[in-house]
Amino acid sequence: MLTEDVIKKVLAAAAGGGATAELFVEDRRSTALRLEDSRVEDVASGVDIGAGVRVISGDRASYAYTNVLTLEALLDTAGAARAGLGRGGEQAGMDLRRAGPPVKHPVRLPPGEVGADDKATVLRVADDAARATGAEVRQVVASYSDVRQKILVASSEGTIAEDDRTRVRFAVQVVAARDGEIATGFEAPGHSGGYELLERFPAAEVGSKAAAKAVRMLDARPSPAGQFPVVLAPGSGGVLIHEACGHGLEADTLVKHASVYADRQGERFGSASVTIVDDGADIGAWGSVGVDDEGTPAQRTVLFDQGVLVGHLSDLRSARQIGHPPTGNGRRQSYAYLPIVRMTNTYLLPGPDDPESILESVERGVYAATFAGGEVNPATGNFVFGMAEAYMIEDGAITHPIKGATLIGNGPEVLGAIDAVASDFDRKEGVCGKDGQAAPVTNGMSTVLLARMTVGGTEA
Amino acid sequence: MSDDLLNLAQAIAGRASGSEAVESFVTHERDFQVKVYEGEVESLTSAEPRGAGVRVVSNTKVGFAFTTDLSESGINALVIAARDNATHATPDDAVAVANPPDEPPEQIAGLFDAAQPSVLPEDKVAFAVELERATRAVDARIRNVEEAVYSDTVSHIAIANSAGLAGSYERSDAWCYSVAIAEDDGDTQIGFEFDLARGIASLDPGAVGRRAAQRGLGVLGAKKIPSARMPVVFDPYTAGQFLGVLGSALTGEAVQKGRSLFAGRIGEEVAAPNLTLVDDGRAEGAPGSAPWDAEGVPTQRTEVIKDGVLRSFLYDIVSARREGRRSTGNAARSGFKSAPGPSPSNLALDPTGENRAEVLRRAGSALLVQDFHGVHSGANSVTGDFSVGATGYLLQDGEPTQAVKEVTIAAPMLEILRGIEAVAGDRRWLPFGGSFGGATTLISNMTVAGG
Repeated sequence: MLTEDVIKKVLAAAAGGGATAELFVEDRRSTALRLEDSRVEDVASGVDIGAGVRVISGDRASYAYTNVLTLEALLDTAGAARAGLGRGGEQAGMDLRRAGPPVKHPVRLPPGEVGADDKATVLRVADDAARATGAEVRQVVASYSDVRQKILVASSEGTIAEDDRTRVRFAVQVVAARDGEIATGFEAPGHSGGYELLERFPAAEVGSKAAAKAVRMLDARPSPAGQFPVVLAPGSGGVLIHEACGHGLEADTLVKHASVYADRQGERFGSASVTIVDDGADIGAWGSVGVDDEGTPAQRTVLFDQGVLVGHLSDLRSARQIGHPPTGNGRRQSYAYLPIVRMTNTYLLPGPDDPESILESVERGVYAATFAGGEVNPATGNFVFGMAEAYMIEDGAITHPIKGATLIGNGPEVLGAIDAVASDFDRKEGVCGKDGQAAPVTNGMSTVLLARMTVGGTEA
Repeated sequence: MSDDLLNLAQAIAGRASGSEAVESFVTHERDFQVKVYEGEVESLTSAEPRGAGVRVVSNTKVGFAFTTDLSESGINALVIAARDNATHATPDDAVAVANPPDEPPEQIAGLFDAAQPSVLPEDKVAFAVELERATRAVDARIRNVEEAVYSDTVSHIAIANSAGLAGSYERSDAWCYSVAIAEDDGDTQIGFEFDLARGIASLDPGAVGRRAAQRGLGVLGAKKIPSARMPVVFDPYTAGQFLGVLGSALTGEAVQKGRSLFAGRIGEEVAAPNLTLVDDGRAEGAPGSAPWDAEGVPTQRTEVIKDGVLRSFLYDIVSARREGRRSTGNAARSGFKSAPGPSPSNLALDPTGENRAEVLRRAGSALLVQDFHGVHSGANSVTGDFSVGATGYLLQDGEPTQAVKEVTIAAPMLEILRGIEAVAGDRRWLPFGGSFGGATTLISNMTVAGG
């Protein structure tokens, strides 16, 4: 992307005087198509190229970035970053070592080699399939997106790393209506890989699945409110782990004591069936990377081992602050952002239980099939999640869908409430927001029984 | 400077060939942000991002492309990509670029604070240091200030198209926020507060810091309360968030596509008879104001709800043409990387004539909501379901008594609108993708679920 000579000149102009410097270069090519009202309305492509220089001194960082990649512009950018800290500049003699090869996530069908007509066609196929599901289907929004992001990150400490990431996602949202009732259904598979995603998740299947959800939810009755056992469906329930446990274990929040998990390493939070990992090296997963955006190789980090808190996630800065090696969780939305600690693919590992017998064990409770996202206060671990698709469980069986249900609670409380973990592990892809930056993440879990949780609803 | 930018925008639009139309949107910003932690700069970012987005409309089909490469070859590739993208879209007679207005719109007074570009970085750093200090200084129970941030942007924006449109303007935005962590007796609460203005001179770090601290301290020791139906008061902050949810259902596009709880309700009484809801793209001092919208249509004032009756939706060009009407100047973009789409500009309820103290007294025994939790999942502008977590206070005779947490408040959105009894005059603007003017708002009855 840049010659080693240019990289060294830029780093030399920014580092020194007790400060280290890092250069991050990004070339991102993206395609996005969107269908609504059975029309392919948006066909977009983009070229986004930029570079940023970070100057670091102790816990302080100054950053500047530019869209112009000439040596002159890069040196100006280095100067601006240096000025922000009031130090650095002219570090002589620097060698750049390449770390081991990044984790590879195979791309069989590079999206750039697939014509836009094919990409438009899968949208129409999903639309047709969704509309064929039932006369209740009123609206279908289908979208396809691919991104190829090449990054280079080099540091005045003598490291250089590159990554070449390809991601593809296909999403279908369906609105169904009957007798004044309106309901929605959503499916959005994605991965780190090529256009072969559409072979694993054929467009027609994704479309009809989203439509079937929307139609089913038309029969939803208002959710009861109160304390219930809650069964989490495989895949989607993982967002609870992400929001209520993962964020609190990002080392930046630990350092600032803004986490309910601060200073609690070695403490037991759940039963032996609770093992949670963050795995940026999971081959082909949506949240995976080869190296993170600071050049640290992707890895699997155990957060809870059989119920005991044993780990955390860090970038270079927070790793230094807490005196542990970095875990490869330094990520940035683009060259326009400083890296921050982020999850990648966060999984509650499968357990020994049978999903059927978990359901059968519940006399009256709520089955949370899909969460609509949620919000968590990392300082307290308190969260609220909406349920996009949920059902009542009565006498050990799912009875009717419910609407307006929310799950209210607290991260440690959820871990403690996990009574059973089944073997039917599944993943769900999403986009996580933190400090105004978006990052692709995967949540994964099996069918899980939470003994007792607060459910919010409209039937007081 | 914006003239150079406008020249570039016009040069891109001038590449239209044959019967196609080309629209270009070019921006050049100067951005600055500083975060302070424990009296020191934690991070500081400065940048001059720039780029261009292009739409090509050809044979009733539209394609979009963007680039950060503004070289001759970069611009060439940009127009070719947009033109190629258009060939894959479905034909749509409603697609069009803006016709230039007879008169260019008047600039918005105060949109650009001329003093802002020359503010020194060290003064911005000092502002953020003071913001953190002021937050911390309120009370020993402020255990930490998780973030104290000052940020600003000076933007030049140019839009042109092959129908002859050429418009440009400058704007400045400065904002700050503080996140206080209050702790006492084993309980931890977060207090978030922000402010925004055209320039740093109009921001008060002391006031923002104090309010952030108070928002955290006030809800220490909060408890759940038993489930009940009761009157609810939204604070300006939560009222603005509620308008944000409503706003996404008030565009013509959302209605046409079956994504709105307001579909088919024009002329219907959708709110209490004393309520008027206005979108004003030219409101002075409001963050969503601009002389031109993102397609080059002059902005305007639109009455959405008048005396409780739904009067109009908000339109961009394509959604307006679909109904044979004119755009209301509500096209927006999140930057040059995105194609335009309809959005409220500055949406707010007119005050009903009482001040905050009067509204609280009138509420009597009620729940005062300081913060919502889980709005993006619990509020659905398609179905009208609204069921979100809340933190706030129980009011007795209009006075806060007990702090409340972990309750869910729920009611269909139309029921909330019809149940609004009063909107105080303490409006503040909140930027939630479009800007929304929240004010202390009394709702006669909602379900409050505790446990």
